[in-house]
Amino acid sequence: MKKRVKTREALRRRLIFFLVLAGILVLVSLIAPLLCPNDPNATSAADINRPPCAEFPFGTDRYGRCVCSRVLMGARTSIFSAVALVGITFIAGTTLGLLAGWYGGIVDTLIMRLADVMLAFPQMVLAIAVAGILGGGMGNAMLAMGITGWTLYARLARAQTLALKEEPYVHAARLSGCSGGTIMVRTLLPNLLGPMLVTAATQIGVMMIGIAGLSFLGIGVSEPQAEWGSMINGSRAYLQLAPWAVLAPAIATIITVMIFNYLGDCVRDVLDVGEVER
Amino acid sequence: MIKYIGRRLIHLVGIMIAVSFLTFLLMYLSPGDAAMKKLNAQGVSVSEEIIEKTRESMGLNRPFLVQYGDWALRALQGDLGNSYKDGFPVADKLARGLRYTTILAFTSLALALAVALPLSILTALKKDSLLDNITRLFSFIGNSLPNFLISVLLMYFLCVKAHLLPLTANESVKGLVMPCLALSIPICGRFIRQFRAEILEQLSRPYVSGAMLRGVKQRYILKNVLHNSAISILTIVGLSIGTLMGGSVVVETIFRWPGLGKLAMDAITNRDYPVIQGFVLFTSTVYVLINLLIDIAYSWIDPRLRETGGGS
Amino acid sequence: MKSRKLFALLLALCMIAALAACGQKAEPAPAAAPEGSTGTQSTGTESEPPAEPRYLKMAVNFAYPSLDAHKDYYGWYTQIYGVTETLFRIDADMSVKPLLAKSSDVSEDGLTWTFELADAYFSNGNPVTADMVARNFRRLVEVNERYDDWAAFTFEAKDEKTLTITTPDVFPTMLVALTDPEFAIMDLDATADFDNAPIATGPFVIKSFKPEGDVEVVRSDSYWNGDVRLDGATLFYMPDAESKLLAMQAGEIDCYTSVDAAAKEIYEADPSSYNLTVIPGTRMQFYVLNKTRLSDNVCAAVNLTVDCEAIAAYLKGTTSAAVGPFVASAPYGQVTKPAPDPAAARALLEADGYVLNADGYYEKDGKVLEITICHYKSRQLPDLAVLMQEQLKNVGIKATLVVQEDPDAGYVATGDYDIALYCMIADTGGDPYYCVDALYRESGKWAKAGFPTDETEALINKLQFETDIDQRAALANQIVQMSIDENAFGYVGLFNKVSVARPGVTGFSENIPFDFYGLTADTDIA
Repeated sequence: MKKRVKTREALRRRLIFFLVLAGILVLVSLIAPLLCPNDPNATSAADINRPPCAEFPFGTDRYGRCVCSRVLMGARTSIFSAVALVGITFIAGTTLGLLAGWYGGIVDTLIMRLADVMLAFPQMVLAIAVAGILGGGMGNAMLAMGITGWTLYARLARAQTLALKEEPYVHAARLSGCSGGTIMVRTLLPNLLGPMLVTAATQIGVMMIGIAGLSFLGIGVSEPQAEWGSMINGSRAYLQLAPWAVLAPAIATIITVMIFNYLGDCVRDVLDVGEVER
Repeated sequence: MIKYIGRRLIHLVGIMIAVSFLTFLLMYLSPGDAAMKKLNAQGVSVSEEIIEKTRESMGLNRPFLVQYGDWALRALQGDLGNSYKDGFPVADKLARGLRYTTILAFTSLALALAVALPLSILTALKKDSLLDNITRLFSFIGNSLPNFLISVLLMYFLCVKAHLLPLTANESVKGLVMPCLALSIPICGRFIRQFRAEILEQLSRPYVSGAMLRGVKQRYILKNVLHNSAISILTIVGLSIGTLMGGSVVVETIFRWPGLGKLAMDAITNRDYPVIQGFVLFTSTVYVLINLLIDIAYSWIDPRLRETGGGS
Repeated sequence: MKSRKLFALLLALCMIAALAACGQKAEPAPAAAPEGSTGTQSTGTESEPPAEPRYLKMAVNFAYPSLDAHKDYYGWYTQIYGVTETLFRIDADMSVKPLLAKSSDVSEDGLTWTFELADAYFSNGNPVTADMVARNFRRLVEVNERYDDWAAFTFEAKDEKTLTITTPDVFPTMLVALTDPEFAIMDLDATADFDNAPIATGPFVIKSFKPEGDVEVVRSDSYWNGDVRLDGATLFYMPDAESKLLAMQAGEIDCYTSVDAAAKEIYEADPSSYNLTVIPGTRMQFYVLNKTRLSDNVCAAVNLTVDCEAIAAYLKGTTSAAVGPFVASAPYGQVTKPAPDPAAARALLEADGYVLNADGYYEKDGKVLEITICHYKSRQLPDLAVLMQEQLKNVGIKATLVVQEDPDAGYVATGDYDIALYCMIADTGGDPYYCVDALYRESGKWAKAGFPTDETEALINKLQFETDIDQRAALANQIVQMSIDENAFGYVGLFNKVSVARPGVTGFSENIPFDFYGLTADTDIA
């Protein structure tokens, strides 16, 4: 335990390191149009499935489009939509789960029954219905994912709250006359945030893949807009002929998911150490 | 406890009604209907009169509430109806798909747990070690690759390059190996991350450092830690059972595994309402029952929760 | 204390789960091991009986829950399995050939058709009688909605082998219609289970059938029409394109049709291991220009912009560039269209008052010319949409892509499109009427786009009842040419039927344009 306290500075530094990396990712996705070596949507019959070369750093895909430019442009769609989706569902789900766990009774029943209905709802039915009724597009794809997405955080937050509620320090806070709201925000929230954040970080990858799955169903982004998941999906038939067209977006996905996961780990570590010191 | 379970089972009925109604409504609102899908299946053009006539005979022209009511009344009598697409009983189709999905879901889950549990305990204890970092890397990769890519890569390397397994085997033990791997790799990646985080969380609690200071044997501390992590681990596992029981369209299609996911997907694209409804009823039941089991398990593991109702 | 016990129980459960997992994992492993070792010698033979039998393994794209050939589209697959046969069949050159029928004759007024049946018998030895054929046809009309129109026809057995069909109106396409696989002849008296074990006349009989799964057939010992070369076959249901490619590469299947562009390229690179067959198919990709929304000049400009040859080049020989809906070699495929000409397209737009803006798009009164291309994710239409969008962009027309899951209930039904992409079977066997009827009728599904006129409608009505083959072709050419000249339609590609087979595998209908032929008596494996 002593070792952990000592490394607090190191942890801070690591956190900053991954924050910077995540910042770079976001920055890259913001200025992607300036970085593209080629027009990401320009097709060219002469350049179909070309291996990586000076002109096309990551090669070209089945339409002769520059994979590198598409990966860069795709960063915007993929990262932004996944982060936004996780952010919104995380906040909504945690809040509802916390309320349900703390107050119990009718609040709990209402929230958790709603979560049950949403969870019990098959994602495919929902996604196709959303696409059919509201039309395709990224916004609607995110809606289809979000409607069920919050339940995960709600259930976890509720489970944590139920466990924490019985901890002595929560009893103490209650006895000392703190209001429910204060206890939830000051005592419960910091304690359940750690594992929840890790889950959220993991979910960024899940959401990225989920959105890709929806573009497969014809919801989500439509061609020619670049998005990593649909790039992987569209090129998978060419895995043997032009592996770069699949690998480039796949590796971009893995790196992004890794950075956000490590970030989640660091956040938790820092929170842990803070608690130990307190 | 029994009263509690009874109450939850009543909830189950409510949820099934809510979910089935919502599904029926959503499918009714989305464009396309079973008559058109059935007649145009192979890209042959069929005249509007014939489509209209078929629609009439299938009862698709009745008002929404009548269609839903008709279905619900029969479902209450245990009759899930016949598929619009081929006229076969929905219950038979579901039972067949369910058998295969259950086998696939539970072997994948067991495989994922068998790998993830020991690894996550080990990596949590030896945080930041080489093993921890390698495991972490693999869990990231497993977790961030789409299912279809994992499936195709597995097929390419195990079947085409190494000739270890036959591609054409399905519905058999040999045919189970690859879809099971394809499903459990991402689940395993996720489990390791989540279990490890949970165990680390417990390790940082004051009771652990207290016990360490008192010189309690590591074995006992670990036991306590695992005990306290069990609630979260159960929740995570329970949620993934629910997802798995819905079947995986991608894996089932690629590995020709005749499970529920493919059945449901076909039913949705064909607007085969009776099959969709049967599927929805089934998945909602599974979700609710699993959640019920999780809650019951909560109060067993942690009796303190029982007094507060354990989630009533 | 109690909770601790329970926790021990939980741990034990986990252990069991882990053990179960190991068990599950270990179980297939030893089974797989010998496979791996034999697999290095010859991978294709492990599940077969010794080398002697000629046994074919083929992948198919669909699998149905029933073998009842009269219902739905199930007949397509019973015919592919080589189990059912029809009175007439279509040959590689798209001509109609007699099969269960020996000859046909039509009365002077064109209303009564007379058929002489061949000396065929079912796999159980019963002869195929005219009465049985008539009853089959009546059953088809009764159980399949798509043949409702046939309810007005009468089917009669004149004697043991003579059948007549009487129609209220002239029905010139009778022989083509009878090649539909749904007109399969089954032994209605002897068949006890139509869904799983129909008794029919084909060279093969069902050995095992899994609903919506794999099918095994064996040679029919009493096939009426010559020797059956194969001893049997397994037809694997493989809807996924990559699975088929990998199974072919792993040597687990011998042949399949509808090879996609990527797989085709891989097979082409290794001609000693794979035989590719590419022939013109029957499905046609086209787009409809919405004349109620786009001006004549814009429609003309779009048609001058879309370069079908360039699109076919991207699709790597899985489609061929189209002029009209039918192959150019057919007598009813004699239409012309102007070559792509971007400069002329621009001139047309400028004549309409459009000017190029700073972004390189045409605009009029400050409004950019923007058109929507609706499509759905099937039959390579997404590829077409992307490529057309790019071609239009190069001319200065901004196109946005809209993808819908169900076109027939979506944009086709509502008419809410500027350009609608679609794919359908155009040629049903040597006659243009089916396609003309589906595309250009005033009551048809494309009428919302504003093309059909009284003139085309009159010509289509004439085509419907015309009995002279040359006249039919001339009429069809005239109608299709009108659709091109009016810039109402754009015909982009004709699908090729691309089949791949291991060397020595022949006769699995790889030379017949239709999807619904497969195993025949001549199918062979060396």
